[in-house]
Amino acid sequence: MTTTIQEQDGKMVAILKGCLDTAAAPETEKAMSPLNDVEGKDIIIDCTEMEYISSAGLRIFLAILQNAEEKGRQVYIKGINDNVRTIFTITGFINIFKFM
Amino acid sequence: MKKSKLSRHITWHVIGIMSFFNVLIIGAILVFVFRVSLVNSDMRGQYVVDGIEGKIESTLWAVHVGASNSRNEIERNMESPEQVFDALEREITVNQFMGCFAAFEPDYFEGQGRWFEAYLYHADPSTSSGIDSAHLERQQIGSPSHDYFNGPWYKKGLSRDRQGMGYLTVPYFDNSVDSAMYCSYVLPIVDRQGRKVGVYGVDLDYLWFNEVFSEVEKMVKREFFDNDENLQDRNGNIYFSVQMIDDKGNRILGSDSLDINILKAEQEDAFGNLGMKDLKGTPYYVNFKSIPYTDWTVAVIQHRNLVFAWGKILALVILLCMGIGCIVIFFFTRRSIRRATKPLGFLSESAKEVAKGNFDAPLPTFEHNDEVAQLRDSFDNMQQSLVKYIEDLKETTAQKASIESDLRIASEIQKGMLPEKFPTKEDRDDVQIFASLTPAKEVGGDLFDFYFRDEKLFFCIGDVSGKGVPASLFMAVIRSTFRTVSAHESMPDRIVTTMNKTIADMNKTLMFVTLFVGVLDLPTGRLHYCNAGHDAPLLIGTGVGELPCDNNIPVGFRPTWEYTLQETQIFTGTTIFLFTDGLTEAMDVDKAQFQMERVNDVATQALAQQQQEPRQLISMMTEAVHQFVGDAEQSDDLTMMAIQYIKENNQ
Repeated sequence: MTTTIQEQDGKMVAILKGCLDTAAAPETEKAMSPLNDVEGKDIIIDCTEMEYISSAGLRIFLAILQNAEEKGRQVYIKGINDNVRTIFTITGFINIFKFM
Repeated sequence: MKKSKLSRHITWHVIGIMSFFNVLIIGAILVFVFRVSLVNSDMRGQYVVDGIEGKIESTLWAVHVGASNSRNEIERNMESPEQVFDALEREITVNQFMGCFAAFEPDYFEGQGRWFEAYLYHADPSTSSGIDSAHLERQQIGSPSHDYFNGPWYKKGLSRDRQGMGYLTVPYFDNSVDSAMYCSYVLPIVDRQGRKVGVYGVDLDYLWFNEVFSEVEKMVKREFFDNDENLQDRNGNIYFSVQMIDDKGNRILGSDSLDINILKAEQEDAFGNLGMKDLKGTPYYVNFKSIPYTDWTVAVIQHRNLVFAWGKILALVILLCMGIGCIVIFFFTRRSIRRATKPLGFLSESAKEVAKGNFDAPLPTFEHNDEVAQLRDSFDNMQQSLVKYIEDLKETTAQKASIESDLRIASEIQKGMLPEKFPTKEDRDDVQIFASLTPAKEVGGDLFDFYFRDEKLFFCIGDVSGKGVPASLFMAVIRSTFRTVSAHESMPDRIVTTMNKTIADMNKTLMFVTLFVGVLDLPTGRLHYCNAGHDAPLLIGTGVGELPCDNNIPVGFRPTWEYTLQETQIFTGTTIFLFTDGLTEAMDVDKAQFQMERVNDVATQALAQQQQEPRQLISMMTEAVHQFVGDAEQSDDLTMMAIQYIKENNQ
């Protein structure tokens, strides 16, 4: 599981690669924490190369969303595969995130 | 304590270095002593040869004064042989010579033939108490048998400068007169025209020279050795000798029995006047000095043992001192090094004690604040750190044991929250239920619950995000909230919405739970349900199918979310199979997931085998998962609940 954060066109982009399971969650949460300190920029979570997400992973997404919404920013999720999309659908997360 | 290897190592190292420099120093000292001995002996030799040369030269000077006056007298009277004889006679009387002669060039006097040598001498010198003309004999000794022209004395005498010194011959036997040994001092005779016409000579007694020489020799020996006799060592080797030799290396003067032939090897060097020489092949060193106006050479010969006598003693004393010094240093060094390294041995013993687990092993104390003491302090530090570390470890271990014990208790408490008694068809005529919950750790975040109220079955299944203790705490909250809320609400959407509000308001950690809440009306089989982000249950009746579910979000973080209500009809014999993602996402060793397809397959298989009753179904499903997972560690909590509606009168 690798997490890369970079700025693109005035947006913060977090690129996640691999399997975001419960074991990888604490590390990923730490790696994505800089996103919570960013002011005034929207966030894109690039999941093109993410194979799987567990409920602990969803919690990280949720925390970022919550934080961003408090600051009036948007969070977009990009490029999820069918497997991950199913998880987002089942859990209802598809209702609270914006996708691009 | 066994002998320290380190101390031995250091000792030998130090001794090795010391020995190396010792050898260098000893070598330098020996070379120095050798040189000093040679220089010292050379100076002694030079001093003696200079002294003897001076003595002989001054003696010769006295002879020269008389002889040159006589020669002048001859030069004034050499008109005829008689005149020459008369002049000789006058001079021998005045100067008291033993004998004198005048030899002339070939055919100098007419009628005298080729050779003419006028010779005047005392006929019987042994009886003479004075010189008078009565005992003088005149002789003309030049003849073919005494062909003096080729005699060295004649040639040398003739070759001299009239104004300068003459020439002293080597001693010889004068067979022509008597058998005594003489030396002659010769000077050239020059006529009025300045031509050299002959040689004038004075006989000098060899014994007289010998006396002069012996005196000097004895004086020298007394001066250097307090002994004027033969200087011999215990082996009979003469160790100091003074000799006068001729140009052939034969002895002229000299009292002792030294074999003079050892000098002959030096002949080619003409007994040069340079410094002391080593006589190769003999144990002797020699100083030469040639006596001017002669072919004599004085030689001082010194035995090796004399040359190096003091040097040997000096060298021996130095070597002895250094040897004793070395031994003393060796013992002191060894003792010091042993004393210095001994504490290391003690420390080593202490270390062994510590290694055995005896952390309080006392450390030796040292007087000096050197490296060893520093090592000891470091060691002490380490010991204390070890003690503290071990104490910490014990404490941590104890804490861990305590936590494990707490977890076991927590696990029991959590199990206690779950329904333990599952109704079967023997107990009830409307439903039979079975469930199983296997946490990945001691405690988990999965939950299920069911109870009956007002002819209704209230049930739920949920999965808290994450696992372990945090999840288990959250699970306890969810479970008690479900019970509290469902006690007065009968519609699942109301139950879930109320639960969500309650929990989201106090949820700082953003944990959430996916929850399926169902309320089954037992008399009619009508099922009301609300799914908050949970996996859709399977319905296993005439076939296998998923219960359609709205995509509501999980419970716990959006207090304003309005959950939707759904409903369906459950027919008699149909089993509702609820599960958490621990089932679909159970992983084998290669991280492959069990997947929904397999769940469907097992359910279909169960239906085909008439095994859809709750207990049988869960047993089959558990078996299938175990087979799939194999030896892999359980990655997530796994919960299954099956509810079969069996009310007959509905049909």
